[in-house]
Amino acid sequence: MTEMTDAPATTPLLEARALGFHRQDEPVFGPLDFRLAAGELMLIEGDNGSGKTTLMRILTGLLRPEEGELLWRGEPLTWDRCSGEVVFLGHQLGLKAELSPRENLAFTIGLHGHRNQSDIDGALRQVGLTGYEDEPVRKLSAGQKKRVALARLLLIPAALWLLDEPYANLDRSGIELVDALLEAHIAHGGAALVTSHGAVQFHGGEPQRIRLHA
Amino acid sequence: MLDTRRPGLVHACMAVLRRDLTLAWRQRGDMMLPVLYALIVTSLFPFALGPESALLRRIAGGAVLVTVLLAMLLALDAMFRSDIEDGSLEQLMLAPQPLALMMGMKILAHWLATALPLIVIAPLLAGMLHLPGAVMPVLLAALLLATPLLSLLGGILVALTAGTRRSGMLLALMLLPLCVPVVIFAAGALAAAQEGLPWIAPIAWLGAALVLAVVLAPLACAAALRIALDS
Repeated sequence: MTEMTDAPATTPLLEARALGFHRQDEPVFGPLDFRLAAGELMLIEGDNGSGKTTLMRILTGLLRPEEGELLWRGEPLTWDRCSGEVVFLGHQLGLKAELSPRENLAFTIGLHGHRNQSDIDGALRQVGLTGYEDEPVRKLSAGQKKRVALARLLLIPAALWLLDEPYANLDRSGIELVDALLEAHIAHGGAALVTSHGAVQFHGGEPQRIRLHA
Repeated sequence: MLDTRRPGLVHACMAVLRRDLTLAWRQRGDMMLPVLYALIVTSLFPFALGPESALLRRIAGGAVLVTVLLAMLLALDAMFRSDIEDGSLEQLMLAPQPLALMMGMKILAHWLATALPLIVIAPLLAGMLHLPGAVMPVLLAALLLATPLLSLLGGILVALTAGTRRSGMLLALMLLPLCVPVVIFAAGALAAAQEGLPWIAPIAWLGAALVLAVVLAPLACAAALRIALDS
């Protein structure tokens, strides 16, 4: 595990060179070039079906890019090199419906460890789920489930956040919560990629933007 | 920023095991289905074949063995299904832990939740078919080796078919040839014990196969899942 400070300042956390992807000879997106350094936020915009989720899955290392290359701290990205440093929040939240938020997060911590000075109850309080700690997740609303998944961001010690449509299903205060989480993460030297088909309010400086076309 | 405490391997293994067993316990109705199936099938044998105890005694070992293995098949295709559907598997793959070891723990949890209850009721099933008491320990030994073997082999196949919908049929077809040697060795041990012959050799073969599977199956399972989800 390399500490973030070990990497030379010029090496970006994540770099894509002519990244492209096809599905049955139909181009999904690309060629894309971008560099994302620590302390930077990148927004990926595009309509439904423009390949945002596919791009996200490639960036997690779950899907192999077909064209171009992807570098993680200057070396080719493979799942074992970036595992533990990347946290991915997708459409499927990865929560067990039969377990409570507390049990779900205890499992997350069991696999990933947690940031110092973070704990499950504190994280659940921060995402506004006080009083729901021991309810089975299946009884929570879609927005509350999303908040449980967001609590994972507070706990997992990851340098890069990949958030696929983090605003979906959230109310106004939930959207503000995501923005606040992102700002704190960026301010602490983390990096984040966020896909969205809507407008994003970000107060911590102007983010980079990538537009995907269907 | 990355001022953190990474969990050790043992801690991560326990986390997977604890979560899967908690889930199995919360859904214990599903867990009872294979047990119920085995009980029903075994109780039908005397009706179909007649209550003649000499005949039942002769088939008891094999009947219990096949019934237990078939009952296990009922729960097999659910091994990773919910994890794939709710995205837990992706989260597991992105965790800083060796996937093969985590899959091994998931298979162990699955075995504990589905096969162990069947082994517990196996003496009852065998008793219903008049299996001689002297053969009972051999039956239990054969089941204790054959069922984890089937779980491990099944785990690989479930992982291979993870990307496909309605994989149950495909799974059964693929598992059949792998089941046959397991059944042959287990049934061989039972037949030998029933005739008072030494039965240790087929049991040792099962044990050897199990050791091999314990080492290799989780690796194959992890590799297969990475391929299955890469689409």
